[in-house]
Amino acid sequence: MAEYQNIFTRIQVTGPAYPGVPLPATDSARKYTPTHVHLFGRLGDAQVGPLYLGATGIASIICGTVAFVIIGLVMLDSVGWNLVQFVRQLPWLALEPPAPSTGLKFPPLNQGGWWIIAGFFLSLSVLLWWVRTYRRALSLGMGTHVAWAFAAALWLFFVVGFFRPLAMGSWSEAVPFGIFPHLDWTAALSIRHGNLFYNPFHALSIVFLYGSTLLFAMHGATILALGRFGGEREIELAIDRGTAAERGGLFWRWTMGFNASFESIHRWAWWFAVLCPLTGGIGILLTGTVVDNWHAWAVQHHFAPSYPAASFNALPDPVYGVAR
Amino acid sequence: MSLVAKATLGAGALIGGLLLLTTFERPPVDTVQVGFRGLGAEQVYNPRTERAVLAANQLPELVPAVPAVGPRAGQIYQNVQVLGDVPVASFARTMAAITNWVSPEQGCNYCHNPDNMASDEKYTKVVSRRMLQMTARINADWKSHVADTGVTCYTCHRGQPVPTYAWARNDIPQRPSGLAGGQYGQNLATPAINQTSLPYDPFTPYLMNSAEIRVATPAPRVAPVRPGTKDTEYTYALMVHMSQALGVNCTYCHNSRAFYSWEESPPQRSNAWHGVRMVRDINNNFIQPLQPVFAQHPAGLPEGPVAARVGIHGDPLKVNCATCHQGAYKPLLGQQMLAQYPELNAVTRIDAPPPVRQ
Amino acid sequence: MAMLSFEQKYRVRGGTLVGGDLFDFWIGPFWVGFFGVTTIFFSVIGTVLILMGAAQGGTWNPWLINIAPPDLKYGLAWAPMYEGGLWQAITICAIGAFVSWALRQAEISRKLGMGYHIPIAYGVAVFAYVTLVVIRPVLMGAWGHGFPYGIFSHLDWVSNVGYQYLHFHYNPAHMIAVSFFFTTVLALSLHGALVLSALNPQRGEPVKTSEHENTFFRDFIGYSIGTLGIHRLGLFLALSAGFWSAVCIVISGPFWTRGWPEWWSWWLNLPIWH
Repeated sequence: MAEYQNIFTRIQVTGPAYPGVPLPATDSARKYTPTHVHLFGRLGDAQVGPLYLGATGIASIICGTVAFVIIGLVMLDSVGWNLVQFVRQLPWLALEPPAPSTGLKFPPLNQGGWWIIAGFFLSLSVLLWWVRTYRRALSLGMGTHVAWAFAAALWLFFVVGFFRPLAMGSWSEAVPFGIFPHLDWTAALSIRHGNLFYNPFHALSIVFLYGSTLLFAMHGATILALGRFGGEREIELAIDRGTAAERGGLFWRWTMGFNASFESIHRWAWWFAVLCPLTGGIGILLTGTVVDNWHAWAVQHHFAPSYPAASFNALPDPVYGVAR
Repeated sequence: MSLVAKATLGAGALIGGLLLLTTFERPPVDTVQVGFRGLGAEQVYNPRTERAVLAANQLPELVPAVPAVGPRAGQIYQNVQVLGDVPVASFARTMAAITNWVSPEQGCNYCHNPDNMASDEKYTKVVSRRMLQMTARINADWKSHVADTGVTCYTCHRGQPVPTYAWARNDIPQRPSGLAGGQYGQNLATPAINQTSLPYDPFTPYLMNSAEIRVATPAPRVAPVRPGTKDTEYTYALMVHMSQALGVNCTYCHNSRAFYSWEESPPQRSNAWHGVRMVRDINNNFIQPLQPVFAQHPAGLPEGPVAARVGIHGDPLKVNCATCHQGAYKPLLGQQMLAQYPELNAVTRIDAPPPVRQ
Repeated sequence: MAMLSFEQKYRVRGGTLVGGDLFDFWIGPFWVGFFGVTTIFFSVIGTVLILMGAAQGGTWNPWLINIAPPDLKYGLAWAPMYEGGLWQAITICAIGAFVSWALRQAEISRKLGMGYHIPIAYGVAVFAYVTLVVIRPVLMGAWGHGFPYGIFSHLDWVSNVGYQYLHFHYNPAHMIAVSFFFTTVLALSLHGALVLSALNPQRGEPVKTSEHENTFFRDFIGYSIGTLGIHRLGLFLALSAGFWSAVCIVISGPFWTRGWPEWWSWWLNLPIWH
């Protein structure tokens, strides 16, 4: 069809860059002259910059870089400082946490010590970044919803990397820094603990993961479908309901019997997205500490489906002589 | 960006994408259901790969059998230590078969000095004597894994002096000042474990030593420390190897929602359990004692073929699942050779500690 | 009536694709339409079939109810009713209901003068479902390759199908899909938070504007995608997650039979590494 579908902007209006809402006197000045990138303007805003640096921002970047460099150098060492092998095997390489025998002590640097140091600097980096999200909102007089959403993600990050290893009494339970190795960790955690699908908090977390995807597809599609009525002007429409908000709400009311408002859809969105890492973190924290085998726990609590025993043709456990 | 640049970029992306498509396989595929419907317990095979496996697992030509009559080999020949009870003609037939199975190109002189057939001067003769004992042991004491099909020299050797699939300890010695010394034996792409970044030597703990493979509860608490995520990665690496070696996937032996549960595991899991103990027996009692012999000839006989007989740490090449199975769910697809070569079961002296069945 | 205060003026005739004025009416807040009728038709029959399957399965515990597909031996033929035939009939009803739902969404969009983005987005999800229960089983030669209908039993299927490829995390399309899922959650949390932080400012402050939204993100990361752009991005991320999920499962089996880690051999064996 020849009708415009509101996917890419066809005509870009260029004008002077917007320097930003004025900041309070206590903040530093913004950095970098804003530029316009035409390619960005086809999907969203063309303006890039200015950026607010700030003390916490700079500190966060420095700490993050330290962690990144440590990880990279250890990976490079693991292939004997061979740059070709480094590039070739990069997805397989990792900085591993200490061995199980270390417990929670600080091991020699080349036996997990670097992992602890890199983890420390990465943790510091993300915490400083959290402070940044909080203070940037405050500077503009806005609510701190972004900061608290980020806090939910940090909850999961610290559960897998710190709280759970602490509770299990061993750094070796933490996640390695590496692309494929962190996937091995994920699979191993599930295998060790009787299949994480039977962890009810894992199931809940996935509900919120898929639910968030569903919601963003619904919300994104709705706004784009309302493009001809200015549906993307969400703040204005939330405080002064216009035809875009009315049609959007009615679409869903007529489709599924109920609807949100222009503000409340963002509450649905915020909670679904935040509850994904929140419940996920709870599920991980309970694994191995409170519940050791989730399938066995499910059998105990009567929600593990049963299949005809004959379909397995099982033989008894050779160690015990009886099927267990 | 100019039109030429855009066109080049686009063409490059297209060609790259098409090349990437060639890394995949294509339908049709064969599937075999292993469990209850809808459970996803299936084996998936590529018919083109299967044709290759079929071709690679053909039995060698049968050496014609001879009547089992005549004086014993031990009475006629010197220095016959384990096959002495076999009649001379059968003995010769067995030697011919072994030559076909292990050194068809090199012939009898791969093990023998032609001027003194009784001499043990070639290390290969010493090794093959041990191998005869090992074969007899497997066929007599490990029916729990090999049943009546049994094994012959061909099962592992397949016409090669050194079996294609073997392993040796491969951990790179830790450099004292290395940053990555404590990498816990993993995170390098390793073909033997399907190119995962799991621990690259799951064989030493489980197929040489007797480390506990089970990690999920309920499990026998043999180890003093509760198994954790890291131990699980080691077990997982062994299981990935096992799957790759047999050309099967995890659902062949397990229902993955409860890996630990024997009630939901197909009978193959029991067979595999015995197989692990069998391999430990082989490696510890038959191969490792040969280490001094191999270490003296790390590259084999001077006349060849040149291939490593020991690993970087000087330990002999040992057996894992792939050594016999070589990508098939049963070695040689379950075809039996042993019945045609009863002499292999006439070994008189196995001379090894009894197998451990725990 | 279940009407909102402003709703009456929008309740006009028109926009239907099939049936004209025949089903162009509302029941409570729900608009019916021809495809509303077909949705109800397929949904009711499908639900009845599910209840039949549950009755035969010996449990009414919602976590344990399981309606399994046929054995592989039936290939692409009809299986006996209680040996997987129910599953096949339920699948037909499901596809009928989902397609009806999408077409009903299209009719509602037309009535409200909106674009078709919503039914198209929903269609991607339906496509993912059809990939799982039709496209992949057909490519592999048996309806038995579909997933069972049961809350925890379908997870047993997911687990086992994953382990058929030894370590499913190494599936490259799965990696892409998972990345899109997590990025969608990230973007949704940021978008929800940003709008709420403007509409619910600090105590004593007036409600903020979209200039504040843009300024926050430019201060924060140097770039703000804007009010329209974030919705385009969000839709793209969400649909990509669904699309690549469908890709990752359709290549597992029909286009790859070995362990997924082994697929990466092409990279490890590139001639450029020597």
